[in-house]
Amino acid sequence: MTACDVIIEIEQLSLVLPEKQSQKYNLRSVTLTEYTKLNTFLMKTYWRSLEELQDPKALRIQEAREEAKQKSLLYKSEGGNGGNSRRDFLRTLGFSLAAASIVASCKRPVEKAIPYLVKPEDITPGKANYYASSYYDAGDYCSVVIKVRDGRPIKIEGNELSPISQSGTSARVQASILNLYDGARYKGPENLSKKITWGDADIEIPKALKEISEAGGRTVLLTQTVISPSTRKLIQQFMESYPGSEWIQYDANSSSGMLAANMRNFGQRAIPDYRFDKAKVVVSFAADFLGTWLSPVEYTKQYTAARKLDDGQRDMLRHYQIESHLSLTGSNADVRFPVKPSEEAGIILALYNAIAAKTGAEQFSGAESAVDVSSLADELLSAKGKSIVISGSNDENVQLLVNAINKLLGNYGQTVLWDSALLTRQGLDREMTQLNADILAGKLDGLLVWGVNPVYDQANGQELEAAIRKLKLSVSFAERKDETARACQYILPEPNYLESWNDLEPKMGLYSLAQPTIAPLFDSRSVQESLLTWSGTAMTYGDFIKSVWESDYYSKQSDYNDFRLFWNYTLQKGVFETPSSADISYSDEGLSVAVTKLPESQSGTEVVLYESIALGNGKYANNPWLQELPDPIAKISWDNYASVPVAYAEEKGLVNESVITVNGLELPVFIQPGQAKDTIAVALGYGRVYAGKVGDEVGKNMYAYVSEENGSRKYRIDNATVEVVAEATFPLALSQTHHSMEGRPIVRESNLDEYLLKPDAGNELHEEHEKHHATLYKEIEFKGHHWGMAIDLNSCTGCGNCAISCQAENNVQVIGKEQVRNRRIMHWIRVDRYYSGDPANPTVSHQPVMCQHCDNAPCENVCPVAATPHSAEGLNQMAYNRCVGTKYCINNCPYRVRRFNWFQYVNNDKFDYNANNDLGRMVLNPDVTVRSRGVVEKCSMCVQRIQEKKQEAKLGGRMIEDGEIKTACQQSCPGNAIVFGDLKNPESKISKLFKDKRNYHLLEELHTLPSVGYLTKVRNKA
Amino acid sequence: MFAEEQHGLIDGHSHDDIKRGERFFKGLLPFNFKGQSCVSCHNLVATDTLNWNPSAMAIAIKYADRDFESFKASIEEPVGNKLTVVHAGINIGEEDLKTVKAYLDNMAMVGPKPIKPSINNLLIFLFFGMLITWALLELIFFRRIKYRIIPVIVLLGSLGYQGKVISEEAIKLGRSQGYAPDQPIKFSHKVHAGENGIDCKYCHHTAESSKSAGIPAMNLCMNCHVLIREGTNSGKFEIAKIVNAVENKEPVEWVRLHNLPDHVFFSHAIHVGVAKLDCQKCHGPVEEMNLMRQNADLSMGWCVNCHRETDVKFKENGYYESFAKMHEEMEIGDLASVKAEDIGANDCMRCHY
Repeated sequence: MTACDVIIEIEQLSLVLPEKQSQKYNLRSVTLTEYTKLNTFLMKTYWRSLEELQDPKALRIQEAREEAKQKSLLYKSEGGNGGNSRRDFLRTLGFSLAAASIVASCKRPVEKAIPYLVKPEDITPGKANYYASSYYDAGDYCSVVIKVRDGRPIKIEGNELSPISQSGTSARVQASILNLYDGARYKGPENLSKKITWGDADIEIPKALKEISEAGGRTVLLTQTVISPSTRKLIQQFMESYPGSEWIQYDANSSSGMLAANMRNFGQRAIPDYRFDKAKVVVSFAADFLGTWLSPVEYTKQYTAARKLDDGQRDMLRHYQIESHLSLTGSNADVRFPVKPSEEAGIILALYNAIAAKTGAEQFSGAESAVDVSSLADELLSAKGKSIVISGSNDENVQLLVNAINKLLGNYGQTVLWDSALLTRQGLDREMTQLNADILAGKLDGLLVWGVNPVYDQANGQELEAAIRKLKLSVSFAERKDETARACQYILPEPNYLESWNDLEPKMGLYSLAQPTIAPLFDSRSVQESLLTWSGTAMTYGDFIKSVWESDYYSKQSDYNDFRLFWNYTLQKGVFETPSSADISYSDEGLSVAVTKLPESQSGTEVVLYESIALGNGKYANNPWLQELPDPIAKISWDNYASVPVAYAEEKGLVNESVITVNGLELPVFIQPGQAKDTIAVALGYGRVYAGKVGDEVGKNMYAYVSEENGSRKYRIDNATVEVVAEATFPLALSQTHHSMEGRPIVRESNLDEYLLKPDAGNELHEEHEKHHATLYKEIEFKGHHWGMAIDLNSCTGCGNCAISCQAENNVQVIGKEQVRNRRIMHWIRVDRYYSGDPANPTVSHQPVMCQHCDNAPCENVCPVAATPHSAEGLNQMAYNRCVGTKYCINNCPYRVRRFNWFQYVNNDKFDYNANNDLGRMVLNPDVTVRSRGVVEKCSMCVQRIQEKKQEAKLGGRMIEDGEIKTACQQSCPGNAIVFGDLKNPESKISKLFKDKRNYHLLEELHTLPSVGYLTKVRNKA
Repeated sequence: MFAEEQHGLIDGHSHDDIKRGERFFKGLLPFNFKGQSCVSCHNLVATDTLNWNPSAMAIAIKYADRDFESFKASIEEPVGNKLTVVHAGINIGEEDLKTVKAYLDNMAMVGPKPIKPSINNLLIFLFFGMLITWALLELIFFRRIKYRIIPVIVLLGSLGYQGKVISEEAIKLGRSQGYAPDQPIKFSHKVHAGENGIDCKYCHHTAESSKSAGIPAMNLCMNCHVLIREGTNSGKFEIAKIVNAVENKEPVEWVRLHNLPDHVFFSHAIHVGVAKLDCQKCHGPVEEMNLMRQNADLSMGWCVNCHRETDVKFKENGYYESFAKMHEEMEIGDLASVKAEDIGANDCMRCHY
């Protein structure tokens, strides 16, 4: 066959192929061998949005048009008089010239240099210190290392020594550094909005507490789950000094049902230790364990470890997800069943019965299952003792049934352990419900609120607020503005966790310490110190912890024979483990009753209220980094929205940004592939009204619809009334189609069985492209280093931690909803999400994309001012002070990773986020330039970290070790999906991964020679 | 009434007293002191060389809150050895001395006189501008001069001069080579590093390990000055400022000399700790400077040139073993030396990120 024949052949093929598939390839450029493989390869189509699936060509034209429009729209256009004329241009030009000449003719300002009077021994100006500490809030625990530069905490890293989070963090933990510099924090103690001193509070409040106690009244200390052993101790002490006082723990996103079930089955008010790394089969009923459920960082570490293939492993965990709303966990599942939430109990019961039938246990009759579970039961049974069944339901009866299944499967003691049970959620909802009723009924006299916000997250928030205002004594310990604090008489602000001491016991026998990394910025005092003072112990909380550790934990170890040594080393490491084992036996108490009280399947529309990845329970709604983090699945930021199924949208004629009402509440619509039939999903944590400048009135508060069922909170609306609001639209910051790579084949994947037969399954094109690497130019020779990065698509769950970590490290600015809509989001690393298959239940792929640092970079040779050349170490450099903003590089980058500063995002009232005030700017990394308006920026592969480690090596006169340099995205990745290293070093991990058969490069047919490689995603479908 | 207004009091002193005090200070009203006056030693305006004696302003501030007796004592019966010698023989009446104190008190209150900027260069520039105008008018309209070459030469010469001035000034924009501002303490590197031979890195001790060389903390000064309370040149006045700062916890606000732009990341550790460069290579003969001044222009061209010329410690430092091929070339003699540029020191992202 001649070359001419091939072209003809290919052209014929392009006529035969469906249009949307032929779009993906420039068929004229494929080679003969490729052509032979084309048919099989083209079977799979990837799409980013439904529009793309339906008509990719039209979408692409529309996107291009939209993009061109947004690029020309320099100034915000409002009320139709936007746009800019030639006169505007000349005016701006003239002004800039005049301003520039005036500024240039001025003398430089005199700068002062103020040294220390007495230099602290451990601080070297210009060098960062790292302190181990711990993050704990709303049930999320993470052991962290705080980077402190010249006295300012500026970055959070994962603590590698922690057996729980193992150097991983979540997006919320990464963003928590910004909470320290939040302008909405209370500046000092207040009584009814009037400033008071701590001395005043220490006289007035104990007096009021005593009066209540002596009159036989009732005071409640309402907290979130407290996992600090020292704090638990001093709370007991406090309650003893004021008889009649009570302590209630309340979790807004609770695990009350699980706790109640475990109390029955095991006598433990705790949650067992799930070990996903030991499991072969995981069946999850709507438990988002990779995103928000219990301990997602830990579970992600374990889950990805059980699915790694890069080190010769030949076995993988298989993951089934049964859920209604496409969660982060569901998007990673091998097999996913979209079902209505009310059907879940029936399926769990059927699964129980199927397993019971084979193991000879008692079976129960009940509702029919919506899914055939017989093969699932067989698979679970064949992996006896190596499986996990979990449910995200907050219903005690459902959890009793799940426990029974795990018992039948012999998982207790194998994959579900009681040795080090999880303690991060201990709130029992019925206690809070009772308290709520008591407050309304006037049966309460005093309320001390710490770390929770019931006025916001209880359904009857407004009534509750009014009732709290009438209490004899109400004290809030809130760190920052919140709705409940607003209703309280006293606001006694607590310091940020980065400013305070603490000890934590997230799991039984696993302890961790938190230490202050900065002196308190405001006039705050730790709650523990207040409670100690009010119960008559004059002691700081730091000293109290030390005394507790000396008496309780020092004796539990034998490594150090002096308490001071033990304390200092533990503080340095941040974590302390004592061997713990528990002999806990299972009793099937209540199972036969529970199966009769399971939630019944409903016929109407059900609304799922889920916890969002970014905002959680909404406590940190004023954090602009979290608000701007696109949802991992929907890719929407700055709002919550109603996810509706594709079929429903078609039936009702809805499109994205249409408006519907759910039980009277107006919500914008987002059509979510994979959303189960007759269900709608809306995120919790939005709609704060008193959170601060950034967080107020963003989205709608769905906690108003959280009801109660079987004694625990029900995150679901049954039989919801849904109506379409005709012709109404609500703009959403939807970025799923932004930065599109024009439908080229980006994700490569295969299934485990194919992979085992042929390691390059799904990646056949790579070898083909490698053969065609030929160039007329001289190949670049790297003399010392050649930095590269490998991303394992099998380990990336799409959680978004890297985006925030990068944002904190590289001073990436927040631009707000409108600019995100204008496709100008500044994140240097974006996690692309691709769908494939049936829109009703698609297969999902996540792919982080940052600058690929091509050795043959298209952006470099179009820059007219040489602002983006290649470095001797293979980095694609960006010199901001040289860039004149032509944006040629952006247009020529096939990966769409370059970002343009359309505006001055720092010190600009139009962008009133953290970079617009001195407090918020304290978070900036002094080692990275803050970019100004008019320049292009992009991922630098954390060059400041490379330089820092190179300097260390040079000072030590040694070579750089493999793995010594870690980029920000890599360091805290909970899935260990990112590897960075030196490609020049043949022994390095990155070099080995680049030789892996699964490795490929994005758009490698363009011969851009990227320094970033991707390992194909291998699924484990049956 | 008119008289009263003229003799009105300012902060307890009359205008006349202040005026009279100023005349004494400046030597217009002489008093008996070896033909000298106060201003001979205590300068009123900033100078570009180091005057060891405290300036009028520094004295004014120091004695503003103190009574006349202590002021008088410091002049007539000083404690320090140096002051005893130089003030010996001062003979000024008490009433006259009070006017001097009044003058100084007033100075402390209103601040020093602003320095008039020199406008010579601007005048010359404008003069040449006028020459250009004249030459053009002559060439086009007047045509009085027979030899047309004369206005042409004037025109070209003037344009040339202006072009030179403009380009020089433009290059210098934002640079401050030779910048030597007055510092709050008359600290002399010549005395410390030159005459007493103290190693640079004794005070700037983080230069080898951190990107910042570090301005020594006041407690480091006190290592020596806890004993040395009087200098040969400056007497007690300057050293007392250190003690004062430490005792009253008032940090000293030095005027920063070397201001790199914010988008430049420079590390002392690499240059001092790894490349083992002498401090003088960039900072000039610091050991000869009484008043510290910026030696180099700190331009990018200056950085880049040095990187082109300077050898890397290629064999000595184990880090460079990563550059295996270059080592081989060195072994066989293909490569004589490795300059900083050869290993990427002039890449953008070495300094700009």
